[in-house]
Amino acid sequence: MLKLNNIYTSFAKGTVDEMKLFEDFNLTVNKGDFISIVGSNGSGKTTLLNLICGTLTPDSGSIVLKDKDITALPEYKRSRYIGRVFQDPKAGTCSELTVLENFALADNKNKCYALGRAINKKRIDYYKSLLAECNMGLEDRINTPIGSLSGGQRQAIALVLAGMTKVDLLILDEHTAALDPKAAETIMELTHRLVSEKGLTAVMVTHNLRFATDYGNRIIMMHGGRAILDKAGAEKDALQVTDLLGIFNEISIECGN
Amino acid sequence: MEILGSVEVFLEMGLIFSILAMGYYVSYTILDFPDLTVEGTYLTGAVVFGLFVANGLNPWLGLICAFVSGCIFGAVTGLLHVKLGIRPLLCGILVSTGLITVNLVGVTAGLAGDFKAETTSIISFGRDTATLQDAFLGDLIPIRLKSLGNIPLRMLVIFLVVAVVCKILLDLYLKTKNGLLLRATGNNQQFVKMLGVDPGRSKIIGLAIGNGFAAVSGALYTHTADGVNQSMGIGMVVIGLASLIIGTSLFGKVKFMAPTTKVMLGAIIYQACLVVVQKLGIPSAYNKLIMAVIFTLVLVLGFKAKRKNGGVKNAKA
Repeated sequence: MLKLNNIYTSFAKGTVDEMKLFEDFNLTVNKGDFISIVGSNGSGKTTLLNLICGTLTPDSGSIVLKDKDITALPEYKRSRYIGRVFQDPKAGTCSELTVLENFALADNKNKCYALGRAINKKRIDYYKSLLAECNMGLEDRINTPIGSLSGGQRQAIALVLAGMTKVDLLILDEHTAALDPKAAETIMELTHRLVSEKGLTAVMVTHNLRFATDYGNRIIMMHGGRAILDKAGAEKDALQVTDLLGIFNEISIECGN
Repeated sequence: MEILGSVEVFLEMGLIFSILAMGYYVSYTILDFPDLTVEGTYLTGAVVFGLFVANGLNPWLGLICAFVSGCIFGAVTGLLHVKLGIRPLLCGILVSTGLITVNLVGVTAGLAGDFKAETTSIISFGRDTATLQDAFLGDLIPIRLKSLGNIPLRMLVIFLVVAVVCKILLDLYLKTKNGLLLRATGNNQQFVKMLGVDPGRSKIIGLAIGNGFAAVSGALYTHTADGVNQSMGIGMVVIGLASLIIGTSLFGKVKFMAPTTKVMLGAIIYQACLVVVQKLGIPSAYNKLIMAVIFTLVLVLGFKAKRKNGGVKNAKA
């Protein structure tokens, strides 16, 4: 499904501060995988997502999605195959547009944005039904500008929008980190439902170890640009939050903290 | 009667500049792009229109070509920004500087076939030059209204019609998929990228529209100046932005009014202010200084109003 082959990435290249992050990094994501990626700050989690989405290009190596080399494809072209939800709830929606307008734009994804009428009134009921599934009362606020909704509500909408049109891969970039515990729980439930109902392949970065163990079928722990733990299926199910914490502690001791 | 004359002047100017200001609504308010290109494209529109009528061609066709020429140079600014990564302000300065030559050579080449621009640099409309006035509804509307202080009624109606048509077209455009995408581009580029669209393309389209409107504005202005001179574009950034910001801050809270209507009213109010200042007996050499001062006042007031409402986007320059 998705393959990262021999990826090399460094920051501040050619200066004294040069920092090599990925050296010969490889990752294979299988169709239907729901992968949770955990790891300390600076371990390369977000860089990995940025490489997949095209925000960053690797120094060398290749990224292959569904047998197609996408390494040189700009971010906006990759969006045809990839949906992404960000940590910042503001990033996934347009705050000055109404809920309906956001839906209308996302509904037209991968089609031509020409001079046709933007809002198709016949689709409003469909949008409302999607919003009703969030259980946040959003279906009655379809004409509200997104900017006046709460972070949790915005993130729910961002998630629905990202999954509304068919994507091969859903990228979740710490998408519950900016929310309160209750909202985070709701969004995680919604994510789970969306991924399983649509049979999506998803890669989720999270700092919430419980989410990482409770959801998904595979877990990867990153450290210093390497995947130091990669467990799937029954092995992953057996993994507890305390086990992960244990590994985290080992790493910190290694680093001299 | 003297008051009527003043009202007529600011209505005329207000309607002309309302089109410029609507262009700024697209580039500045929607796209958040401070576009200086209009100093050049405003004059380009006037030159293109002037050449059409000076050569006896259809003035309405001239107006459309003026719009297109503005769009083209607006798109150049957009390309410089999007493809070469040059900062917005610099893009505008570069293109408007280049346009000084284009406008100068355009006039001499169009009038006398002189590409060295050594003959004349102005176009003056004579009595027999057929402008929009001579191609509008025959004699249905009198050229001047004698009973009411001899105000040029037909010209006012033409300006009103052109401005309202521009407004309606813009309103319609903003309701299309492409128009909504433009609004999304100014608001959240990341969101546009996630839709699989290059936000740069929207920016180029927006700048093309903004400058097309500026060019139409310049083309209309030739009617009140009876021709084209090379200094016509000076100060257009200030007029356009001031009109826009007056309109959007004064009527900011009025819900039922379309933003384009607010901008049009803003342009008329700004011109009314200028006429009042002139009536106080200040010499015309002080005009531009007064324009800048009024604009500064509006910016400061607009900034305060915006801060109260939580946002500052429209108040910064």
